[in-house]
Amino acid sequence: MSKLTQVMAAARRFAVWLLPAARRDWLAALWAEAEEVPPGLTRLAWRAGGVWVLARGALMPRRLVRVGLFAAASAGAAWVAWPQLGVGHVAEGRFNAIAPVLVLAVLPLLSRRFFGAASPGRIGGSLRVLCYAAILALLSAWTILMVFSSLLPVKPAYQRIFCNDRCTGVPGRSSGGATWQAEILIMLLILGYAGVTLFLTSRRSQVTRSTLAIGTATGLLFGVVMYAVDPLGLSKVATNPWLPGSTAGPLVALAWILLFGGPAAAAVLAGRRCRGPDGSRPPGHARIGQGVAAGVLANGTAAMAVTTLGTGTTMLMLKSPWLLHWLNHGRHLTGFATYRYELNTTNHTGAYVLMLMFFPVIGLITSYLAAVIANPAPLDARSPSPGLPMTSGE
Amino acid sequence: MSRLTSRPEFSAQTLSVLAALCDQPSQWQHGYALARQTGLKSGTLYPILIRLADRGLVEACWQDEPAPGRPRRHLYRLTSAGLASATGALASAAERAAEQEAAARAGTGKPRARVRPRPAAPGTVAGMTS
Repeated sequence: MSKLTQVMAAARRFAVWLLPAARRDWLAALWAEAEEVPPGLTRLAWRAGGVWVLARGALMPRRLVRVGLFAAASAGAAWVAWPQLGVGHVAEGRFNAIAPVLVLAVLPLLSRRFFGAASPGRIGGSLRVLCYAAILALLSAWTILMVFSSLLPVKPAYQRIFCNDRCTGVPGRSSGGATWQAEILIMLLILGYAGVTLFLTSRRSQVTRSTLAIGTATGLLFGVVMYAVDPLGLSKVATNPWLPGSTAGPLVALAWILLFGGPAAAAVLAGRRCRGPDGSRPPGHARIGQGVAAGVLANGTAAMAVTTLGTGTTMLMLKSPWLLHWLNHGRHLTGFATYRYELNTTNHTGAYVLMLMFFPVIGLITSYLAAVIANPAPLDARSPSPGLPMTSGE
Repeated sequence: MSRLTSRPEFSAQTLSVLAALCDQPSQWQHGYALARQTGLKSGTLYPILIRLADRGLVEACWQDEPAPGRPRRHLYRLTSAGLASATGALASAAERAAEQEAAARAGTGKPRARVRPRPAAPGTVAGMTS
């Protein structure tokens, strides 16, 4: 078989793979039938019909759109993250540009293999898309902030004040970038968030649509409140420059309430809403499982939303003087004050990682406790029983 | 008004496929044979077969024993629901065609240009078999 034939066959196999599973047989049938068609133009026309069916079935649906969007977004993120000339930690920078994108590309295939296809309904697919979009946006923003934070100031006075004799390299250029420790942490977070999202939205996890909806809605509400408090990194005080202390107080209190109460409420609600396939109330352990899924999803969504929005806002502030002055309305910022503000804000965004690490854990513990309290198992029903397929309690 | 509400259930091309399958409803048929019978291209025929199968009107299976050196072929035939649906649809199509011809002859209406189902054998209603 010539190389061209091999390439064509490989391209066809890839295109067939893009088709929904239920359609692949049909295309194989059409292709096999071509052997019965008289050779020459007639057979060519028959195969052209197959290509048309393939194009209609594979090129137009969402799957290819999603693959294309992911490829474009990944290429954009890798391009932004690729280390520039003169930036230190080149190897780490290249790893930062390539590895996360590869991990994100491979994870859905592994998820399909081990957890099955995506759960039916729009919410699961939307969650996956949102999670991937947030991670890719975050990768670009993180890289820009890391490079900025290790930028050696041009002015010697700034170097003395902000670098404390630790800065090395060429003034006006970044001496650093990502370190291996930071890279490993980022990779673990990506694996955790993308992996858990893929699992929760897969068929095998049996997380219902209502659980996904409750968890996501709670998380987004919490995320909005947290972003209103800390849009420019995480600090001991609210980092929102528009919030006077008297306004920040109630919002901070609400954020604390949502941190612990949000997953608990989501867990109780998700447990009540889930139903078995026949509409019956599922056993207690299944309701607890749904509750824990809702709680983890709530705090995970909140952490990811705040981190993405906050890191993105900070990155845009570095790039846009207009945004910097809008955020600091009514304040006259000298060059020195501006640089100090940008540096402090950039450093504060690093603390978002703490939220990414601990919020889901808090959600897990709180929702488990709430779900267990809300669904007390009868003493004679504590024996393990097989998982029950769930449906959303509409 | 009735034309707006009584839209035929199947397109003319789908009707031609149903008619071809109705010829020998108990026998499995191949895609290429259906394409020759209906005059449809593969890019038109297979999406129709897929839709009919999705609606449970056509069943499909792979050939058990392929000819030596040939790949296995996909086979198609009408389900019982498909046979009932096809019989009704073909009868309705034939009635509509007859009405339109009668109207055209009487000059009371303009015959609509439409593709008819595959011509049936002489003396039979399009595609209907015993």
